[in-house]
Amino acid sequence: MYKAVIGLEVHCELNTKTKMFSGSINEYSKDPNTNISEIDLAFPGILPLPNKEAVKKALKLAIALNCETPDKVLFDRKNYYYADLPKGYQITQMTLPFGKKGYLEIDIEGQTRKFGIHQLHLEEDTANMEHLERESLLDYNRAGVPLVEIVTDPCFNTESEVITFLENLRNIIKYCDISEASSEKGQLRVDVNISMMKTTDTVLGTRAEIKGINSFNTVKEIITYEIQRQQEILEKGEKVLQETRRWVDDKKITVSMREKVDAIDYKYYVEPNIPPVAITEEYKKTIKEEIPELPIERERKYIKLGVLPKDAKTLVKTKEVSDYYEEVLELGGEPKETSNWLTTRILGYVNTKNIKFSEIYMTPKMLANMLTMLKNNSISTQQAKEICTICLEEQKTPEEIVKEKGMEQISDHESIKKLVDEVLNENEEQVKQYKNGKTNIIGYLVGQVLKASGGKANPGIVSKILNEEINKR
Amino acid sequence: MLEKEKLNKYAENLEFKINEKEYETLQNEFDILLKQVEIISKIEGIKDYEPLDFPFPLENSYLREDKTNMKISREDALKNASETKNNCISVPKVVE
Repeated sequence: MYKAVIGLEVHCELNTKTKMFSGSINEYSKDPNTNISEIDLAFPGILPLPNKEAVKKALKLAIALNCETPDKVLFDRKNYYYADLPKGYQITQMTLPFGKKGYLEIDIEGQTRKFGIHQLHLEEDTANMEHLERESLLDYNRAGVPLVEIVTDPCFNTESEVITFLENLRNIIKYCDISEASSEKGQLRVDVNISMMKTTDTVLGTRAEIKGINSFNTVKEIITYEIQRQQEILEKGEKVLQETRRWVDDKKITVSMREKVDAIDYKYYVEPNIPPVAITEEYKKTIKEEIPELPIERERKYIKLGVLPKDAKTLVKTKEVSDYYEEVLELGGEPKETSNWLTTRILGYVNTKNIKFSEIYMTPKMLANMLTMLKNNSISTQQAKEICTICLEEQKTPEEIVKEKGMEQISDHESIKKLVDEVLNENEEQVKQYKNGKTNIIGYLVGQVLKASGGKANPGIVSKILNEEINKR
Repeated sequence: MLEKEKLNKYAENLEFKINEKEYETLQNEFDILLKQVEIISKIEGIKDYEPLDFPFPLENSYLREDKTNMKISREDALKNASETKNNCISVPKVVE
């Protein structure tokens, strides 16, 4: 029996206004070579100046991921030649990175799992390349964009563990406002290291590395494929090669790119142009206070408030939805009830219509108002569902809809008693039948009262009063 | 003396090849370096010192504010390239 051992390197572009070491604009653009400066292009005589905001964001993420953080950080040069690297080296971190030995906690089916973070460091992105038939084209807009790299321990065994981790990590990054973390824009890229070992072995097997994957779905496909490929090799008694492999999407396979990847010497040394950056305890404290309540904390809080675990996960999946939910609660929404309406009705609508959550017309205040009406029995559940749909589709407030449709439910005792008396007087025959033991006739009578009210009477209250009154006769 | 085999391996990992004469030069240079390190290691109390990360006792409290202050035009940037295409710099294809 074999098991897979998987480790990840996750690269995430930061949402700072400017680049890591230059004051040129850091913005995703389809127009090539527009956000560039002398520093990004490595003109002679340039000096890198670290971006304060990028330093702050890297530290923030290191703290959010429970890393040990140093009292100073250093930048290092990683030397290699490639067309996308104008300086011939990348400024990155090795000696003293922002974070080490952290972890990310995830609750999976009632159990808390801790996935180890080996290291978190700050570096600069390379230029973007497009490969044509006979040439490669270079766009330097991406060169020098601040990039955080998160290196995990080899702590995953299945593709689903990896995907759960990545989703949670992306979530934390978004909650902390560190990056937009959009896969489509290539702001989140993953390298996967994967090897197989016998379940009885204590030494890790030889690993293959697949670099620069920018969709979680592809990560999943690659792991599934590699597990099978390596297992087949081992079962034949052959050896897995240590190599970098590339995913061929149209064939759904990986192919070898380069053998013995670890043998390359990148000649790391401390970047002499950037003095060590002091990270004081006071600064760490300030940053820590800026970290919002993280998804796992919110998820646990919601469960304590009575929300179903499955729904709590759905609510925290994006900060937008979670913030919306919290706002409705602040406006008086009951936790479980609000969660039900939000996860089924509203998110259901968002999914079916394939729109962004931010595009919906219904504000937290509108939902809260509708829930108050429902709680006060001024509308029925059936009516609330209708209001919800109309509000989302026709962009009208719940109050407007109630008024327009004359939905206000009759709940006051006096009005209903009057209707009940009328119906009982008009249906002497049925009352007689009831007295003779045909108690299910009550359903018919409730129906008559509702009909008389034009469907506006609260059925629960009608039933209660009808039972009281009929027994008085 | 640093063996030739080791030097060969280092060169391979740095992705270049060296000839006989270069081996000799390198071996002699390494010989001197290794002897120097040996002398240093004999200094009394040397083990009590932490390795140095940065050559100066300097710490940076100044970091650049996250404000746009640099830009060169695409036209200027592409002037340096011998070949351009689609507003990009064109180089010989780097992947197979």
